[in-house]
Amino acid sequence: MNRIEKKLALLKEAGHKAFITYMTAGLPDMDRCADVIRAQEEAGTDILELGIPFSDPVADGPVIQDASFRSIQKGTNLKKVFDLVEKLRIEGCQIPIVFMMYYNTISFYGIAAFVAKCASVGVDGLIIPDLPYEEQGNLKKVIDKTQDAPILVPLVSPVSKQRIPMLLKDAKGFVYCVSSMGVTGQEATFHKDILQYLQKVKSVSKIPVMMGFGIRTAQDIVPMGDVIDGCIVGSYFIQLMEKNNYNLEVIKEYITTFKNEMNGVK
Amino acid sequence: MSESYYGEYGGQFVSEALMNTLHELEEAFHEACKDPEFMKEYHYYLKEYVGRETPLTLANRLSEKYGCKIYLKREDLNHTGAHKINNVIGQILLARRMGKTKVIAETGAGQHGVATATGAALFNMECTVYMGTEDIERQHLNVMRMEMLGAKVIGVQSGSNTLKDATNEAIRTWAKTAEDTFYIIGSAVGPHPYPMMVKEFQRIISVEARKQFMEKENRLPDTVIACVGGGSNSIGMFAEFIQDTEVELIGVEAAGMGIASGKHAAALAAGKAGILHGMRSYLLQDDDGNVKLAHSISAGLDYPGVGPEHAYLNDIKRVKYVSVTDEEAMEALSELCRMEGIIPAIESAHALAYALKKAKTMKKNQAIVLCLSGRGDKDAATIEAYFNGEDYLN
Repeated sequence: MNRIEKKLALLKEAGHKAFITYMTAGLPDMDRCADVIRAQEEAGTDILELGIPFSDPVADGPVIQDASFRSIQKGTNLKKVFDLVEKLRIEGCQIPIVFMMYYNTISFYGIAAFVAKCASVGVDGLIIPDLPYEEQGNLKKVIDKTQDAPILVPLVSPVSKQRIPMLLKDAKGFVYCVSSMGVTGQEATFHKDILQYLQKVKSVSKIPVMMGFGIRTAQDIVPMGDVIDGCIVGSYFIQLMEKNNYNLEVIKEYITTFKNEMNGVK
Repeated sequence: MSESYYGEYGGQFVSEALMNTLHELEEAFHEACKDPEFMKEYHYYLKEYVGRETPLTLANRLSEKYGCKIYLKREDLNHTGAHKINNVIGQILLARRMGKTKVIAETGAGQHGVATATGAALFNMECTVYMGTEDIERQHLNVMRMEMLGAKVIGVQSGSNTLKDATNEAIRTWAKTAEDTFYIIGSAVGPHPYPMMVKEFQRIISVEARKQFMEKENRLPDTVIACVGGGSNSIGMFAEFIQDTEVELIGVEAAGMGIASGKHAAALAAGKAGILHGMRSYLLQDDDGNVKLAHSISAGLDYPGVGPEHAYLNDIKRVKYVSVTDEEAMEALSELCRMEGIIPAIESAHALAYALKKAKTMKKNQAIVLCLSGRGDKDAATIEAYFNGEDYLN
């Protein structure tokens, strides 16, 4: 069973919501990036979204744009991130890992080679913000015939409306609901119809529904608490790590606090 | 594949949040094209406001010197000084028809930004233009023009600080604001239906040129030449000639300091298929699949990709794509100034440079039609610096 599905099944059993973090791979450098991932697993991050830096991140706001740019300057590329995941898995790291990346990076690597490599090193899922449903055919074909292939996580937006059933048909893993129009990291300015929209997705979805974009603390998702099955923190998490020079204790503290507050654990 | 593709190029590589917007746009565009009232209005503004039709000028002295007839399609004589306004009028009328009140645009040389600011003033819309900070510096005149026209110019400082980055920022803003904002893309790039729309609104160039040439020469031209950055003037210039298989079509990319130097903007000559700005097309990329910075003395050609239909026309060999260097383009620019009394945009000078080379291989009674896509006023500072041997910007 895919690590994402396994983890989500366990959370469901416990009645807990999923806590997902995003970090740009290769920051502050490859070795310390591995340390952060290990610390996150220890602190209880349920799923890790690992950003593969790309030169033209059109779905990202300033924080992740800047992180991508700095990571590329440090020499991060897809091959090195595969090596990182491979090393972590060999050491016994079991945290579900989802690559967040732009389609050109996959296309350049070669779709078949990319999916095979994900399966062999242990990448569990893919979030590709510039690959909408209509363009997913080529990638899905390869995923469908590859054993242990990563799950392609469907993205849904506040304006997806009548497209929602189509987007969720045959979807696996979890649904990524974008909380606002536009790009990552907009500080809890959720779309005006956020609740109705999440309820609509929840009513159609057979898999857990996660919300991302603009979330900073567990407080931010209290209004949606009854609807969603978890949330993703990205830009804020990066800022927190940057501000504290990637101090592992601060990172762990943030994760523990967020999870406890979200799940009502005192 | 669907109509969103030209062979294996094109498509709609945008975030889910924009998919409904693109479908609405596609539908509105098809309906508008079928609506005689819409097309009548479009042509009304082209005639009464833009000043079409533009002349097809026989460049007498150049023809004599280089040994075949050289005709210039004078897009430089359009209101605002380039072909960009043709497309802006079309898209802004469409925006109005769709009930949008705000428009945004990206711009490289500033010509599309000026055209959009102009259209926005004409139709009383709020206009924001995204422009790389490097382009703001080398195209200062156009920045002033946009501001005079009431547009807000936002400097984009990320990546190369040029057209590519301005486009990224415009796409981000569009994704946030698509509910009331229309994104006017100026080049034949972007997700479907943009490349198709831009072609239709620039088609007027070849509709006129083909008719004018027939009237003058009672036959079709031997060769048609246009410069290619994203490829809007060229796709407009080629559109009506694509079916005329006896007419040779040539697109001229910017070779910058030479293809071998790596400092160029020749996506078709040296790129490989990739995905950027919502489309799959030829793209300059590094060894990791990141987009490589383009280089050209011409801000309007300084783009690492190319419109998807050009990628297709290249693969099926209907259009031959070549490239000329900064130096060759500037020589041709000077030649046109002194021999014909026309100061061309540096973009257009690329097409001219190849036309002059090509002319030498042709017979006296043969004819080239080239698209003089814009005038060179905006480039005065760059031209001066270049000929003074100073470090020109970029």
